[in-house]
Amino acid sequence: MSVVCPSGHQSQTVDYCDQCGARIGAGGRGSATDPGATSTMFPVLEEVDTSPAIRREPCPACGATRSGDDRYCEECGYDFLLPGAVAWEAVVAADRAQFDRHSVPGVTFPVYYGERRFILVEGENRVGRSRGQPDEDVPEIDLAASPVDPGISRVHAVIERCENGGCVLRDVGSTNGTFVGDEPAPIPPHTDVPLADGQRFHLGAWTTITLRRR
Amino acid sequence: MTSFTVDAYQNEYLPLGGSEVNAIVTVTSDGAGRPAGGPDAAEVVIVDTSGSMGAPGAKIKAAREATSAAIDCIRDGVAFAVIEGRDRADVAYPDGMRLVPASAQTREEAKRAVAHLNAGGGTAMGKWLTLAGDLFATEPGRICHAILLTDGQNQSEQPEQLTQALERVQGRFQCDCRGVGTDWEVSELRHIASTLLGTVDIIAHPRDMAGDFQAMMEKAMGKSTGNVSLRVWTPQGATVAFVRQVAPSIEDLTDRGVVVNELTADYPTATWGSEARDYHICIDVPPRDAGEEMLAGRVTLVEGDQPLGQALLRATWTEDRHLSTRINREVAHYTGQAELADCIQEGLEARKHGDPATATFKLGRAVQLAAASGNDGTLKLLAAVVDVDDAATGTVRLRRDVAIVDEMSLDTRSTTTVRVGSSTV
Repeated sequence: MSVVCPSGHQSQTVDYCDQCGARIGAGGRGSATDPGATSTMFPVLEEVDTSPAIRREPCPACGATRSGDDRYCEECGYDFLLPGAVAWEAVVAADRAQFDRHSVPGVTFPVYYGERRFILVEGENRVGRSRGQPDEDVPEIDLAASPVDPGISRVHAVIERCENGGCVLRDVGSTNGTFVGDEPAPIPPHTDVPLADGQRFHLGAWTTITLRRR
Repeated sequence: MTSFTVDAYQNEYLPLGGSEVNAIVTVTSDGAGRPAGGPDAAEVVIVDTSGSMGAPGAKIKAAREATSAAIDCIRDGVAFAVIEGRDRADVAYPDGMRLVPASAQTREEAKRAVAHLNAGGGTAMGKWLTLAGDLFATEPGRICHAILLTDGQNQSEQPEQLTQALERVQGRFQCDCRGVGTDWEVSELRHIASTLLGTVDIIAHPRDMAGDFQAMMEKAMGKSTGNVSLRVWTPQGATVAFVRQVAPSIEDLTDRGVVVNELTADYPTATWGSEARDYHICIDVPPRDAGEEMLAGRVTLVEGDQPLGQALLRATWTEDRHLSTRINREVAHYTGQAELADCIQEGLEARKHGDPATATFKLGRAVQLAAASGNDGTLKLLAAVVDVDDAATGTVRLRRDVAIVDEMSLDTRSTTTVRVGSSTV
């Protein structure tokens, strides 16, 4: 016994054509002869909401696409209603000069380290290294991705966005300290140090973070 | 009758223009039915008795004991023989070119013959395997299994001679290979085992031999269905990119396909007991328009021409990237396990050739993959070769003093995988 597939092949198998693999018994989208076949043929496609989305400009702070009438950006928490709001970002890079200054034995400078950017959220932004554990409280600025700087503590420092629009840096008791600018001594732990736009600070074996206002 | 179930796991949605269909096909056999290790099985034990087995003296002694232990596990009625391998191959038991049915009496006789095996001469595995093939040929229609034990490299014949011998015996019997000590070549034994659809492993110490042989033989006796193949049908215009066994270990079957007709090929899977195996099948199909569905593959498990189970691999093209970019969990898992095996083999190779940067990178990636997938066995073996600083990021340091047996154990077992759901994360 054989059946004929939509492309006209004689097929010994009745579910799909044994020549071209076409489904047999459903002539195509919207086949009127067998409505049941149509619904199993495109089970998920028909559930897709194709109604036009409300078009919005992307977030001015981080560039994330926006949808609906949300007031805050899903990515960075930017307040779309606040006129002239200020956004800050932390740019993380591997710094050869910083690495050479410390020259930690057993640690090698990464061959390639792509620049990483983090948009600062309101309030506290923890800088650290997650362990990849389930249910872990991951720091906002998580530097656990490879190549990883082994000199960074699990929770190393905090960058806090203040109500006056500026930012402060606070070392929260890291093992290897946090260094602002070209200062040879680390900043004292648990003490707020104001950071200006474009200011850099160092941590770990090679990590340098630059704060930018945009 | 043994019952088989065949299931497919895939994301059938492809982006427009997409042509690659990936699926994991899981085959489970309950091993019931025919009396396990019944009278229609045949077993040949091939023992390396080359000169190197004599020194240190423990090896040939352990080989004799292990062979005796294996003989004890052969069930009544199973046709068997023992081959003595050196630069030639001889039947150590019985006398002459034949197999004898196992019984209390023949097992005793065989053990007496094995006790007189002495070491001397070279190593020519091609000849050993050819003789095994000839012995199995005297009793056609049985499920044939061999065990090959060696401690050295195939020095007494050219590589082509081994290749030719393997071509002659391929598909006629299944062969599990065991290397004892550290003077054998992992790639050589892996090649034999994988061509003959068997396993390869290291026996680090002669004292472990008897236990391992016993386990191998019990497994062989548990096989109830032989000559089973995966029959893969693909539509016109499609090509099979690869067919790969991915659990319990990685074994590429792509080049083993036997053409049935222009759209169908059989991939041999040898014998089955009560077990489950997973296969990763990748098919290239001609792209179709959005919303169109096609059958990309029909995978049928067959014994000879008798179908035992079936799974369908589908392809549906969609403009919805949400659907098409989703990666199936099983496919992702086994893609990772295959990368794990590659990383270990490439890392060890780089280490051997004095390239610590590549070795560190590859073995570090292997640690990361093994940890993420819950492959604890492999992780433990890796830890003997590298110091693990952070498994999650794959930060490792090469160890300076690595025992050669640890390195060989890792190499041999690098293809051992874990199934989906083993992950602890």
